[in-house]
Order: sequence, then structure tokens, then C-alpha cells
Amino acid sequence: MSAWDLFLAQLPQQIVNGIWLGSVYALFALGYTLVFGVLDVLNLAHGSVFMWGAFFGLLCVTTLGLPIWLALPVAMLGAGLLGVLLERLTFKPLRQLSLGVAVLWLGFLVALVGIFRLFAPLFNWGLVVTGLIGILAGLWLDYRGVRSGPPRQSPHLAPMISSIGASTVLVTLSQAAFGAQQSRFPFDTFPNRVFTLGPVAITLLQITIFILSLLLMAGLSYFVFRSKTGKAMRAVAFSERTAALLGINVDRIYLQTFFASSALAGAAGVLHGLAFNAITPFMGAPVELKGLTVIILGGLGNIGGAVVGGFVVAILEVFSVAAGQSNFRDAIVFTLLFLMLLVRPQGLLGRSLEKRA
Amino acid sequence: MKRSRSHLARVALLSLLLVLALAVGGCSRPLGQSGEGGIEPAAPVAPEAPVPEAEEPTEPDVALTAAAGAEERIQIPVGVAHALSGPIAIYGEPISQGIELAVKQINEQGMLGDGREIKIYQEDTAGTKDQAIAAFEKLINQDEVVAILGPTLSNSAFAADPVAQEADVPVPVIGSSNTATGITDMGDYIFRTSLPESDVIPNTIEVVKEARGIEKVAVMYGNDDQFTQSGYEVFVDALQANDIEILTSEPFAKGDTDFSAQLTKIKNLEPDAIVASALAEEAANIMVQARQLGIPQEVFFIGGNGFNSPKLAEIAGDAAEGAISGAAWFIDNPSPENQAFVEAYRAEYDADPDQFAAQAYTAAMVLAEAIKNAGSADPADIRAALTEIENFPTPLGEFSFDENRDPVHTPVVLIVQDGAFQLFEQ
Repeated sequence: MSAWDLFLAQLPQQIVNGIWLGSVYALFALGYTLVFGVLDVLNLAHGSVFMWGAFFGLLCVTTLGLPIWLALPVAMLGAGLLGVLLERLTFKPLRQLSLGVAVLWLGFLVALVGIFRLFAPLFNWGLVVTGLIGILAGLWLDYRGVRSGPPRQSPHLAPMISSIGASTVLVTLSQAAFGAQQSRFPFDTFPNRVFTLGPVAITLLQITIFILSLLLMAGLSYFVFRSKTGKAMRAVAFSERTAALLGINVDRIYLQTFFASSALAGAAGVLHGLAFNAITPFMGAPVELKGLTVIILGGLGNIGGAVVGGFVVAILEVFSVAAGQSNFRDAIVFTLLFLMLLVRPQGLLGRSLEKRA
Repeated sequence: MKRSRSHLARVALLSLLLVLALAVGGCSRPLGQSGEGGIEPAAPVAPEAPVPEAEEPTEPDVALTAAAGAEERIQIPVGVAHALSGPIAIYGEPISQGIELAVKQINEQGMLGDGREIKIYQEDTAGTKDQAIAAFEKLINQDEVVAILGPTLSNSAFAADPVAQEADVPVPVIGSSNTATGITDMGDYIFRTSLPESDVIPNTIEVVKEARGIEKVAVMYGNDDQFTQSGYEVFVDALQANDIEILTSEPFAKGDTDFSAQLTKIKNLEPDAIVASALAEEAANIMVQARQLGIPQEVFFIGGNGFNSPKLAEIAGDAAEGAISGAAWFIDNPSPENQAFVEAYRAEYDADPDQFAAQAYTAAMVLAEAIKNAGSADPADIRAALTEIENFPTPLGEFSFDENRDPVHTPVVLIVQDGAFQLFEQ
């Protein structure tokens, strides 16, 4: 078999591989790009929320015994709330201080002390519970805007660095909770059906994930472009100040953006965990890098761009392996990324920087 | 007006923070102490690492000449330097248990004769190079041991073994978990009981080729990890030596979870088997995805030491059935030495021994045999006796050292059947 024949023979299956890998990439990148579009912040803890989403799903299935179709929304909710907490802990204090933020941070520190010293059970559980109450009280106080300080100026890169820190904490916490070993969903979580159509083998799980991803993408588009909240988000993305003048509660929009973005990350985490049987505290990092590539390729902050970018990166990867270059897979993807940025610095679907929203 | 109010708020906030911080700090102290009491048992307990006292007759020379006093037990100091804390402790713990078990048996059975017994001096290397060096220096200079068992990691061995080799009185070192190339090249006092991959893999390929008559294989390997990369190179050599055609070599990176592109390519090449130089968790995912893509179960997987983990069948389930792996040791190996070892280990620790424990047990046993044969507690004599060890019965099989002080014994070939490894019957 010549190299070309071999390439042709595997082509149909490789296209299927690429499309379904692309749907996972796209789902992850959507939330990533959403936060960037609205807040102008690169949230590098997105991968950690993704990882926690996978663990939330796993806990629902193993500990609570929920079926997977119920575990997915629960995990999305959990990841969304984690995202909200993340926003208040790491991004909000850089924009504005308030009594709520102070109480929140205190609660967080107390809870951390409790978590990292789980050897005198009663005392530590007391600390954790006190901390959690503090966190909830802080969130509530902050939400009500009690004793808010003036807006603050922080260095341009501060939110990004802050999110790196948050990411590290989240990974460490999950390592402490679940260990460094790889876990997987139980074998009977999802029916293991393989369909063979000529040269192509495709599993029920792959089809489901592809369809679910499309649905979630469509849902997000509808939310952002049609709903009132979505319109407010786009207004904030366009100009925070103008939006505020028009009576939009910018702070609340930030929360909603983070919730939506993190819930999507959670969904991506559960689906990724189901698809590849590899749930570890470190599963976020490689996907994070891919996600970054995807959103830069698609156009930063552009929702359609994240979808297109996800499929382009996945197909490129798969084809560079098919053409015989597994060694250079990532190098090929990034070279093309460079070339693309030479021609279109704003990304595939990106508009000029000023009108990104 | 507004300004002063916000200023007030800020001061109030700061003082609140301060008060709360003080309160937390204050109340955590007494309780924190009780917490510290609680952590102690969790830390790996070094069984006996007493500070040697000056009066103790630990001088090697004394041990040599005092053999006449039959009543008095002469203690021969042996150093144990393994990782008992840090992330590597999961390997260091079974290792030190294997050594303790061996020493207990040696002393109880009077294996050394003449009322002599081994006394262990244990040091924690924590899996780091500098701690390993410090442990070796203390064992050699302060405890004046006649031999050292350790360290846990190959990296630590490259750092610490020269300390023993270049000491004023060189001390033999026996590693039981170092498999990297070049460990024993560091000097004529460095030994090991851990069979390197370069011995295990060729044996596996040979046995499988004979039993299954495979002619063409595809290879997958992690190319950014020293263990899987060097395993890959050994596989390629072994496959070529056995005239097995390599259809393609497909690398992947650490942390990869999607292997379907590589496997699609492999599927179209129709190999007889797939060789995977990967860690158990990656290998398990490769197997699952291979079956999903429709690579038939007859196309079985071959791996090295990396396969050798219960995680393989746990993650891969049915997809792992028929996977073949080479190993230095197998728990259900029916030899009487191995059965006795496994039984004693279970009785002592209420757990199954792993390969690290078996190799460490063997290291201690081989050392005892050498001390007995040397009839002396002089490190140089012990070294000479170690090189003469030949066909000594151990849990690993008939054990010898070759001229490079590397282990010689027959490795085993294992196959996954009904979700667990079994001996591969040809």
C-alpha cells in the first residue's frame, strides 16, 4: 500500500475523528472566548473549572448514583457556581473592593486552613463550615453592594496572573480531594455501542457528544444574541461605561458571564471525561493550550470563531497524523496558526479590534 | 464629605480584617497542636532508626575478630536509604518493608552464622538528589555501615552512588529499583537487583514471537518521557532482532487523551499486534479507543514494565484482555522462594507485595548471602563476595550478578486474562 493509498483509506475515519474532537475543543473554547469578549480578561483558570466539572460529574455518577443525563446538568451547575466564586475571589477585588469581598476572602482563607489540616476532624470541619458560611455571606454582601469602594485601577496583566494563581489552587485542591491518579466513569455509565458504516466506526457516545455540543453552542448563541441578558453582555463588551450609563448592572453581567462560561467548561469536562476515560487533576492544562489556540485562530472574543477554530484545529491535528507526521502534530498546528496570524491578525472570524463585540 | 466616608469605610474594613485575623490566629494555636499530634501516625514511620551510640560495637573490624564470643550477638551495620516521605514514598514504602522483612528473617534464622546479625540504619532520601547524598554521607561517615541498600530513584542513584564509590573506604551499594542505563557503570561497588527494561523487553518479544508467530506490528510510544522513549528504542531493537516488521511508529505526548488519529492509521495497516511503550493509564486509553475504532480483539497489545499495573485492566476493562507484558517478577510465580516471600509479606504487612518489595527483599537477601560467604564485615570483602553470587534462589528466580554487577535472572511474561495478569503459557 503506497503512502497515498493509505492516506485515502483512512480519510473517512479521520474526518470523523476530527469532527468529534473538534466539537469538544469548540465547547471548551466557547466559554473561554465568552469571558474574554465581555471582560477583556484571559481567564487561565478556565481549564481548572473544566477539570472540576469533570469531577463534579464523576461524583454525581459514583457517589450519588445519578444517571449521566442528570449528572451533566448538575455538573454544569456546580462548575457555573465555581466560576462565580472564582470571579468574586480573583477578578472582582482587582476592579473594586467591598465589604463582601473582604468577608469572602476571609471565609475562603478560613476554609482553606480547614481543608489543608484535616487531621483533627471536628475542629477542621468547623473551620471549613465557618469558611463556607463566610464565603456565602461575602457573596451576598457583595451582591447587595454593601459598602462598595471606588473602582480600582490594576495593571493590565493582573487579572491574568490572578487567574493563574486560582488555577493552581483549584488543581491542588482537587489533587488533595481525589489524588493524582487517573479516574474514569464506571463502565456502564453510557451504553457502549459502536456503529460501523463501511470504513468508518463511530460510537453512540461520539454521536451524542457531537449533538450535545452543537445544542449547547446553539443555546449559547441564542442566549448571547437574542436574550436580554445576552444583549446586556454584548453592550458591556462594547463599552462598560456606556452600558453602565444605560442602567445595566455591569457587576451582575460579569457574574452571569462567568456562570455561563464556567457551566460550558463543566459540560466540556464531563463530556471529555466520558469520551477519553481520563479524569485527573491535570487534565485542564493540555486542553487549555488547545483552547487558547482555538480562540486566537477563530478570533478573540468571537463566539462563531471559537466553533470554527475548534473544528479547524482538530482537523489539522488529525490530518497531520494521517499524513504521517504524528511527531510534528502540534508544530504543524502552530505553524499554520502563525501563518494565519500573518494574514489575518484578528483571527478567522475576528473583526478589527475596536469592534470586537 | 463623600471622600471621608469612603475613607472611614476603608479603615473600618482594615481593622475588621485585622481583628478577625488575630482571632483566627489566636484560637487556632491550642487546637492546632492537637492537630499536629494527629498527623504523626500518618507520616511513614521509620521502623528503627536509632541514633547510634558510641559504645555500640558497630566497628567492622570488631565484627571480624569477635566471632569467638558465641553468646554475644555481633551487629553488622547496614544502611537503608529510600524515599519514605514525599511523592515517591508510595514506592519507598514497599521497598523498605521488603528490606525489613528480609532482615527480620535473616536475623531470626541466624543466616549469617557465628551469632552475627544485621542492624539496619535507615535514612530518608525523600526522592531528591541532595537528600540522597546527605543520607549516604551520614550512613558512611557517621554510622560506618558496611553496605547500603538504595536509593529509590535512578536520578538519586546517579547523585548519591558516587559518594559510596569514592569514600575513603568504599562501600558497596545495591539498588533495587534503579532501572536506568548506566547505573552500574558508575563504579565497581555499585550493584542492582532491578532488571532493566533492556533485559525484560527482548525476552517478551522473543517469547511472544515463538508462541504467536507475529510478523508485523505497529508501535506507539510516548516521545516526551524518558521511560517510554527508552522503552521504545529497546522495543525497536528487539523487534528487529526477531525479524518482526515495524509497519509504523506513532508517537504521542504526555497528557494526550485522544489517540484515535494514530489508531485509525494503524487500523488500516492491519498489524498482527500493537506494541505500546506507554504508562498503564495511557496504554489503557489506547486500548479502549483501538477497540472502539474497530481494531479486532485478536490484534493484541504488547508492553513493557509500564503495563504492569492494576490500573490497566481497571481503566481499559475488556479492551485490555489479551494484552501481554514483560516483568521482572510476578506475584503468583509458583517457585517455593516466591511463595514463601509472598506469604511472609502478607502475614507481616497485611497487604500484597509489589515488584519493588520483591526486588528490595532480594537485595537484602543477596547482601546477607555475600556477608556470610565473605566471612568478614569488611566492605571490600563483601563487594568481592557479591560479585561471586551465582544462581542464588530468590523470589525473582535463580539470581546472579553479571560482570557489570547487573542482575541476571529469567524475566516473566504476563497476559491479561479475565481482568488480571496471569503467567503467559506458550
